[in-house]
Amino acid sequence: MTGKATTWTRAGGHLVLGGLGVLCAVPIYWLFATSLRRPQDVSSAALLPWPLSLQNYADAWAALDLPTLLGNTALMATAIAAGQLLIGLLAGYAFAAWDFRFSRALHLAFVATWLVPFQVTMLPNYVLLHQLGLLNTIAGVVLPQLCSALGVVLLRQHMLGFPRELLDAARMDGRGSWRILWTVVVPNLGPPLASLAVLLFINAWNEYFWPALVLQRSNAVLQLGLRSFMGAEGNDWGPMMATAGMACLPVLLLYLVLQRRVVDGFVRSGLK
Amino acid sequence: MARIRIERVSRRFGGVTALEDLSLDIAHGEFLVLLGPSGCGKSTLLRTIAGLLAPDSGRILLDDSDVTDLPARDRGVAMVFQSYALYPHLSVARNIAFPLRARRTDRAERDARVAEVGAALGLSGLLDRRPRELSGGQRQRVALARALVRDPAAFLLDEPLSNLDARLRTSTRAELTELHRRLGSTFVHVTHDQVEAMTMATRIALLDGGRLEQVGAPHEVYDRPESAFVAGFLGAPPMNLLPARLAERDGALHAVADGVDIPVGLPVEQPEGSTAAEDSGRDVLLGVRPEQLSVRRDGAPGGGLRGRVRLLENLGGEEVAHCLVGGIRVAVRGTRPLGVAVDDPLALDCPSEFVHLFAPTSGRRLERRARDRIHVPI
Repeated sequence: MTGKATTWTRAGGHLVLGGLGVLCAVPIYWLFATSLRRPQDVSSAALLPWPLSLQNYADAWAALDLPTLLGNTALMATAIAAGQLLIGLLAGYAFAAWDFRFSRALHLAFVATWLVPFQVTMLPNYVLLHQLGLLNTIAGVVLPQLCSALGVVLLRQHMLGFPRELLDAARMDGRGSWRILWTVVVPNLGPPLASLAVLLFINAWNEYFWPALVLQRSNAVLQLGLRSFMGAEGNDWGPMMATAGMACLPVLLLYLVLQRRVVDGFVRSGLK
Repeated sequence: MARIRIERVSRRFGGVTALEDLSLDIAHGEFLVLLGPSGCGKSTLLRTIAGLLAPDSGRILLDDSDVTDLPARDRGVAMVFQSYALYPHLSVARNIAFPLRARRTDRAERDARVAEVGAALGLSGLLDRRPRELSGGQRQRVALARALVRDPAAFLLDEPLSNLDARLRTSTRAELTELHRRLGSTFVHVTHDQVEAMTMATRIALLDGGRLEQVGAPHEVYDRPESAFVAGFLGAPPMNLLPARLAERDGALHAVADGVDIPVGLPVEQPEGSTAAEDSGRDVLLGVRPEQLSVRRDGAPGGGLRGRVRLLENLGGEEVAHCLVGGIRVAVRGTRPLGVAVDDPLALDCPSEFVHLFAPTSGRRLERRARDRIHVPI
């Protein structure tokens, strides 16, 4: 009886999860399928894109300076993710390894920045960038985003779980705090660092509004490039899907490479 | 080798006092065991010596130089942690070499030292493994090797045996004692295990509530406990402690209570002009070790302790009888069989030289003075 019930429960579970999986995968499939149709078939609802054509990619390539866009986007996303990771690492280490005055209050202040809506900081940041002469530059996009409260909170949490005796042992063995961070803490935080890196990179990569505001031209990063296929007389779906497909690829590749560590990181943080 | 002096060290954590005005002098080459129940401050004291914790007040001296404000890495002492604290991402060889790398020792010397220490501790075949691939005993030896490789002035050991199984603990205990004998360095070993303390220490420092209860060689601490706490902490089962009152019996002082009438080995002092014995009528805490009590075979009437057996424990070669004497639990330990059964009434004798007396309120040991009177020290 119980065996049967378990089988049914499991089958039900798989059905629900499978359904959710399909729901997630269909839009991505549709994106790539549309990008591979012939331009005249773009609005076709056939499940399989047949005959296959790379014409949309060629059109996108002709319309946009894709290598520059990809390069700029990669540079921006990498710089933002690296900055957020580094600051998260240093701040998380400080919060986790030391008891100092107001450390709790300071940590709460970090968390509280989460509650401040982007719209509140958008204009002051814009004005500041204008005064610094950084409008229309990648640096202008990156600078205000160098610190992420998510990164700080997540890494602090992981470091709190880090065995204190290891830090003490490293101190006894003659290492200073700075070298302990790089030779003991970081090598043992692989999975959380990898998962956070992917998360931050994807966030930065997909950013649309802030780059649009700072860069003010459509040919700087991919997400803005996509806009040029939207016109008053209708959207150019084929090249748009091709560009969007290409915009997805680096993120997908990064995830595939780091997949095991990312899953590890999330599973462990879930267990804590 | 190093002499470690702790001078009037205090340390509080929030509202909790971990160490209170504690002074201790640890000589060159000593194997000092810091013993006490959980939360007595022994680990805090060790971490203070190591430099991982700063005392609120007081000084730490290493070989006559004040190291109170010196960071841990400059003190030249090594520590073995309870969890071993091996770096999980490094191989055994690199774990052992870690302190040398931090001191930028050149590579040839580093490799030679690692090989030498590894061989001395039987780790030669394991140098390329990661800590997670080692057994508990092997990890413990790697932690020890990492401490040894620096050739430190003193070794601080924080319950290094507590994660080992009973058999391994016994053999490791012997190995540590042997290592201490070979190196002749100062060892400070923290434990709550009295067997470790009794077997390994040249001196035991017993702590309670952040204060030193007694410091002395294992036999001193065991045979002449300075307080009821020390008496009740050491021994398996620990010393029996019974509230009693001193009374005069035929010119000698006896400790008397319900079911208790035992000579304490003191003559009655009669101050001039008085008819009452001086110490007669005084409340005391009577202490007797379980192994010093003997069951009176003939069951004849007389003094000693009288009670009833509640429980018998078979320890293999020995047997422990837990009895109730006037409502107080009293343990008797002797060669098996003791010759008693559960619910038997029994009479117990104890030679008066093995009777200890403590003050009932302060718990301090009551001493004999020159005139053989007893008084409370302090």
